[in-house]
Formats: sequence, C-alpha cells, structure tokens
Amino acid sequence: MQRDPGRTLCLVLCGLLCYTSPIKENVDHGGPGDKSRDEMKGNGKELIRVRKKRLFFLLTAGLLFLLLCGCSAEKKTVPQSYTSLEELEDKRIGVTTGSVQAMQAEARFPNAEFYYFSTSVDLLGALKTNKIDAYADAEALVKFMMPENPELTYIEEPIAGKMKAGAAFPKTDQGRELCDQYSEFLRNIKQSGEFEEIQNIWYGEDESRRVVPDLYNLPGPNGTLRVAADTSLFPFIYIKDGKTVGADVDVLVRFCREYGYSAEIVSMDFGGILPAITTGKCDFACGGIAMTPERAESVYFSEPTYEGGSVMAVLKAPDSAGDNGIFGSILTSFEKTFVREGRWKLFLKGTGNTLVITLLSVLFGTLLGFAVYLLCRKGNPIANKLTKAFIWLIEGMPMVVLLMVLFYIVFKSIGIGGLAVSVIGFSLTFGASMYGMLCSGVNAVDWGQTEAAYALGYTDRQTFFRIVLPQAAQHFMPSYKGQVVALLKATAVVGYIAVQDLTKMGDIVRSRTYEAFFPLIAVAVIYFLLAGLLIRIVEWVIGKINPKNRKPEEILKGVKTHD
Amino acid sequence: MIEIRHLKKEYPTSTPLRDINADVREGDVIAVIGPSGTGKSTLLRCINLLETPTAGSIRIDGEEILNPGCDVNRIRQKLGMVFQSFNLFGHLTAIENIMKPQIDLLKRSRQDAYDRSMELLRRVGLVHAALKYPDEMSGGQKQRVAIARALAMDPKIILFDEPTSALDPAMISEVQAVIRDLARAGKTMIIVTHEMNFARSISNRVFYLDNGEIYEEGTPEQIFTNPQKELTRRFIYKLKVLEIEIEDSSCDIPGIYSQIADYCSRNQIPPKTALRMQLVFEELVQQILMQELAEKHIRFRVEYSEADESAEIIVEFSGEPFDLEKTENQLSLTLVKNAITDLRSETAQDEVLNNRIRLHVRS
Repeated sequence: MQRDPGRTLCLVLCGLLCYTSPIKENVDHGGPGDKSRDEMKGNGKELIRVRKKRLFFLLTAGLLFLLLCGCSAEKKTVPQSYTSLEELEDKRIGVTTGSVQAMQAEARFPNAEFYYFSTSVDLLGALKTNKIDAYADAEALVKFMMPENPELTYIEEPIAGKMKAGAAFPKTDQGRELCDQYSEFLRNIKQSGEFEEIQNIWYGEDESRRVVPDLYNLPGPNGTLRVAADTSLFPFIYIKDGKTVGADVDVLVRFCREYGYSAEIVSMDFGGILPAITTGKCDFACGGIAMTPERAESVYFSEPTYEGGSVMAVLKAPDSAGDNGIFGSILTSFEKTFVREGRWKLFLKGTGNTLVITLLSVLFGTLLGFAVYLLCRKGNPIANKLTKAFIWLIEGMPMVVLLMVLFYIVFKSIGIGGLAVSVIGFSLTFGASMYGMLCSGVNAVDWGQTEAAYALGYTDRQTFFRIVLPQAAQHFMPSYKGQVVALLKATAVVGYIAVQDLTKMGDIVRSRTYEAFFPLIAVAVIYFLLAGLLIRIVEWVIGKINPKNRKPEEILKGVKTHD
Repeated sequence: MIEIRHLKKEYPTSTPLRDINADVREGDVIAVIGPSGTGKSTLLRCINLLETPTAGSIRIDGEEILNPGCDVNRIRQKLGMVFQSFNLFGHLTAIENIMKPQIDLLKRSRQDAYDRSMELLRRVGLVHAALKYPDEMSGGQKQRVAIARALAMDPKIILFDEPTSALDPAMISEVQAVIRDLARAGKTMIIVTHEMNFARSISNRVFYLDNGEIYEEGTPEQIFTNPQKELTRRFIYKLKVLEIEIEDSSCDIPGIYSQIADYCSRNQIPPKTALRMQLVFEELVQQILMQELAEKHIRFRVEYSEADESAEIIVEFSGEPFDLEKTENQLSLTLVKNAITDLRSETAQDEVLNNRIRLHVRS
C-alpha cells in the first residue's frame, strides 16, 4: 500500500523536472566568451542564479533518485511469514532501546541479530521495509497497530511473562506522597470499575469515544503537576487534534480532578523521561513506563496502569487482496498525514518552533560571537584563554549532549523550558563558530590595511569597524551562510529536551499514522524550503553589504559633482 | 620640525636602529638610502609610531611623541605616509579612499571632502579613475591615489616608504613625477628609496643609513659624487671589495688564487678582467714584491665597481719606499703594465703599511 504512492509521486515529479530542465540548460550555455570585465560583472548575478537553479535541480533529482531506489528495492523483496518463535532464533530482530521487551528478547533469542530503534513506529517501518524479520513489543501496542496495518500480525506465544507499566515518581518525600496518592486513586477506580471503562474506551475500536475532557482547564487549587511523557505512545499517550490524549492522560485528568491538581504535560523522548523526573525537572512521569527492578532503584512506581505480555510482531504472508488503486491510496495516506485530526497544524507548529530556535540562535549567536571577538581582539590573555577553553568545551561535545547537559544539569533548578534551553545551546555553538569566522575573516584582511588606517590617524576602534570589518565580512559571509543552514539542520535534535520541533512533530504524526512516507517527505521538504529561505536572506544581506554592488549615485551620495 | 635624538629600535633578534640623530627642517626633501636591512623603513615607521622605538626621543613641532600621554592619532594626522604596497582600502573606490579619512577624521562635510579629493585626483592625473576600486587599477595608479589620500589630510610632512619598489619599471616614472611635483611645491618629505638617480635629483639632503645609524649625511652632490666614508663609497659606487693580507712568505698562495677566483665569479666580473687581476697578483705581488722586499707584510685589495664595471687594485706594504721601475724583474713589470691603464705610487708616513700602489685594471 505504502510503497505505491511514493513511487508514483517520484515518477510524476521526475517527469516534471525533465520537462522544465532544458530551459535552464540553454541559459547556461551562453558563456561569457570575450566580454569585458564590466559586462561580466553585470552578468555575474544572472550566472549565479542560473547556477543556483541548476544546483537545485541536481539536488532534487538526486533526492528523487534515492527515493526511487528505496521504493523499488522494497518491491523486489517478498517478506517471509513466521508462525513460531523457533523460526526466529537466528533472524534479525528489532527492539526499542532500553525497553523491557529488548531485555526479554535478548534473553530469549541469544543467537539473533539485534537492531535498536527508538519508537514502535520505527520498528514497524523497519519490519515493513524488510530491514528486520520481526520485532519485540508489548502485545497491546501490536494489537493497536494491526487494524491500521493489515499486513501486520504477531506470534501468539509470548516471549516472556506479563509486563507491568505505570507512572514513575522521583525518590523524594514529595514523590513518595504523590505516588501514594496516585496508587490509592488507581486502586479505587479499579474497584469501582471506572478503570475498566477507561480501558474500553482507549483500547477499543470506537474512535469517537476517545476524548479527554478538561486537561487544559483543571482548576488545580493544590498546584500544577509537571508530567513528563513521551507523547508518541498510542494509545497510552499521544497527540490527537493537536491535543494530548490517551488512556494514561484520561487517568491523569481524573486523578487531578479528584485531588485538586492541574497538570502540564511536558513532551519528550522516552529516553529523557527518567532523567527529567530524577533531576526534578518534572514532578512525575506517566505513559507506558515498564516496571523493571533496575528502574525501581531510581524511581517509585505507582500501581500498574497496564499489564500485558511481550510478543514478536511479524508480517503476514503476502496476499493479493485489498488494493484500492494507486491514487486512492495516495489520497488516503495524504489525508491521514495532513488532514485527519488537523495534523497539518502539528507540522505548522513544529516549523514555527524550528524557525524560532534557528532565528533566535543565529541572532544571539552572532551577537555573542561578536562580543567575545571584541573582547579578545586586542590579545587580552585572560579573555583569550577563557574563550579558547570555552570554545573547546562547546565544540568538543555533540550537540545533543550539550543540550541535555544544559537541560538536565546546568539549568536543572531554574524553571526554563526546552525552547529557551535550545536557544541558549544553539546560540553558544553558533557564537563559537561566529567567533571562528570573525578570526579567520579578519586575518584574511591584509595587515597593511590596518597600518594605512593607523597612519592616517584612525583610532584602533575606528580602524576595526570602518576599515577592517567591512572587508573581513566579504571573507566570512559565505561560510556564515553555510553555518546558518547547518544550524537549521542541527536543531532537529531538540526533541531530546522536550521541544516539539519539526522533526519531533513528524515523529508524532508517524506514530499515529504508522506511515513513514508522507510525514518524512513533508518534514524533508519543509527543511529544504526553510534552508532555501535562509540562504536567500543571507545572500541578500551579502549582496547588500558588498560595497562593489553599489551604484555610482550611492557612492557619491550627498555630493554635487560638477563634472 | 622633527628632531630625533639617540633613537634606538631593538628586536629580539636584531637591532636595526642603534643610535639615530637627525633634524628635519621645514621644506626639506630628505632621501634616505642605504643597503637593505639597515633600518630605513624602520626609521620611518618609528617616526609615525607604527613601530614603538626602544629608546630615544622624537620631537615633532617641539612635542615629544614618545611620552605616554601623547595623542598618537593627532600626531599621525600631521604625518602622511605612503607605503611600498599602497595599502588602499580595498572596499572603497579611489575617490572614497581619499574622501573617507577627511570625513571621519577631519570632520569635513562630504561636499568639501569631495571637492578636495577631486582636486587632488586632478593633480595626480586620475580624475577618470575616481570610481574605480583598487583591484581595478594598475600599481602606478594605486600609488598615485595613495599619495592623494595622504595629501588630503594636509599633513606637514609626508613619509614615503619605498614608494616605487613594488612597481613595474614602466610605472615608476609616473609615480616619481607626482613626487617631484610635490617637492617643487615645497612639501616637506622623507623618502626611503633604492632609486639613486631619483634620490639625487629630488632631495636637498641625503641620509646614508648603515650600521644602525646615519653613517653619513650631506647634500646629494656630496654623497653621490664625493662620499667621504668607506661604507658610503662602497654603497654609492656599488663597490665589491676583496682584501688579502700577506704577513710573510709562508702564506698559502694557491688559497689566495682560489679566493680571487671565487670573488670574481661571485660578482660576475668579466673573465678578461678577472684574468688581469690574477695576473697583477702573480707578477706584481708574487714575482716582484715578495722576492725583493725586506719586510714581507703586504695587503692586496681589489675594488670592483658594479656601477661602471671598473676594477682598481691597491697594493700596500710596509718598509722602505720601493720604486717599481727599478725592479730586477723587468719582464713581470711589463706584463703588469700591459694589464693596467694607470699606475700611481704614494707613501703615507703615519701608517704601518706606508707604501701604496694604485693600479687601474684595463677593462
């Protein structure tokens, strides 16, 4: 189902490009020949534009080629169907990193080849594209995915005993107290049958009943709870119509109403949840957190909110039924990805966050790099050593690690959100590269320029700002442009610290539709457009500050020329 | 106008200026000459404090500029500087290069700055290049714009640091013409240059710098036609000197021949002249003097002038005066006379080597 819309789309786009590209070719062939220098300069812009178009074309064509390869590779392999665990002994098995199922599967299949993914959706995608032969997951999760994915099934025989999942609380007095309240509440609703009703709603088939009222308008006289959760865990906790819903959210809201709290859900990667509560960033965490002895050492667990076995998910033997035409399936996929539950809003919001982080980081990073450069410019040994050490520290760390260090350690006690921490983190790295660019840009300006300015009587400051900097800018602006785009792409990791940027939103949508094609392509295209936009802006600035682009009138502004 | 006393500039590895003393008066055009690496440029750069002198005093209009409290930027405005490598501001057109310092530093209006700049461009003959960027101009044009830029600040003195060294031969004259024009107009200037003819024709005083000091100073005529001191003479006549001292008869004669051969090939002395030098040594020193003198303390000295490709040999020796004509070895004397054009004998009373024979080698 999924492979067809992708391939068709690629073919259509390729056709379009082939149709438009010859026009661009012709322009390029009108080479400069023996034109004079002045003419060359006039044509320079035009040439650059043509070259840019050409590059754009090549890039798009390359991307499409890769897609096409991917799609057709998918078509060739016919996945085998497995019916018993024994058959999987030496096969390729996918698991989610650090999950209970991973441990269970590793113990059950010591000879298998393991692949580690971060979400169930990735596991499903890998299975569908035959990158793995089976994956281990909670029985409930596999069951929920099956209606949407007809080719998916699982082996009845469980790989291990039942697994329990519940809410996790920090090991503090406050956490203990809250944990007791939560457990007490769960025991009560289990007795009264309310819990079963919740389960029927969320684990059932009827979509219309899956509504959580009031999460955002709880009165909360006893304070607000900050709840860490991975919001891509359908049906425990996920995003629908732009709102966080799910079985665990339902329980949470009922609990808050009962005990007089209000709640704020802080969305983050699963891997970030436990650190978030142990460092006190959040008051507790909920949403399919499996109880393991090891985790129980660092957190308190409430009464279980979910119990179930772990199973191996595999693909059904291929059957020819149920193809409702290529365009029909494209439309359905498209509708699922963008229209249903207003998911386009998620992409929009993610794009907004990504842009905000990028633009603010570029702004603050540029200012920071500039300020530091000015401090170090005259060779002050203390400032220089400090800067050097600081840059070494920042540039020697992967961006993700830096962000998490900032989020979980440095700004642990100050109540600032992931967005602000991202801006701080990326401003620091961008500042470091800005500093480097300024250094090399200024070094590229001949020392004679400085001497000539000094000899005329310019002060050190005037010399730097009026003579050296305008020339240095011409040297470092091209790499500045590259750095801005690199920054935009680097922001894709902010999902780790609970920021819902474009990439994270793509993941969230993927976790609901169980389809990779449209969400990933949409995210890629949006990044592509954003990068193009940023490049345009920086290039416009480069053109503006290039003194040679001025017209004679501008050069002699405010002057009466007699001749 | 400028008084320099005991100026010293020391680097960790060298001392280009040891002890400079000089006065520059209003209207002076001073040419600073000397071998490379003797601190000519360093002297200029010390005067406008692009280099910080190690010790000494520089007074400009009576004001000590090496005082810590001195306003360096104000002093520099009084001193124009023209660099070997032009150093026009690359991001500005020719006219802006001249206008901008006036606007930024002299606070002139854009219009005044423009008018003055155009006047100066006219003076250096580059009105048509007003809107060109430095990388669109030839070296000679750039240097003329640089001179105009310096003039625009109305400096009291202009310092030229080898203004034509980086230029193609064809462009040297256009820049020299501009500088000549300034000299005629009575501008005070200090010019470091390697162009001797230019230095001679433009200056009213010449400083010959060597050994970290002003080794000899004088009018162009004194310095260029009749230099008093040894190093100056060698520099002006581009003399290449070889000196061999023979203490007694047991000296290393083959070694001396190879020294002479080395010297000749190193200085590209024509083979004929080189042969004649060897011949003079062999016949005069080896065959006549070393055989017939009582004391065998002889100094053999060759001076070859690259300027006119002439060679002179001076033979000095101690003891009683010796009349060459009366030698027993008339054959050798004839051979020597064939190799030279001029022979003079002198005696000096107060020196150790009191007899001297000068021979001009035939070329």
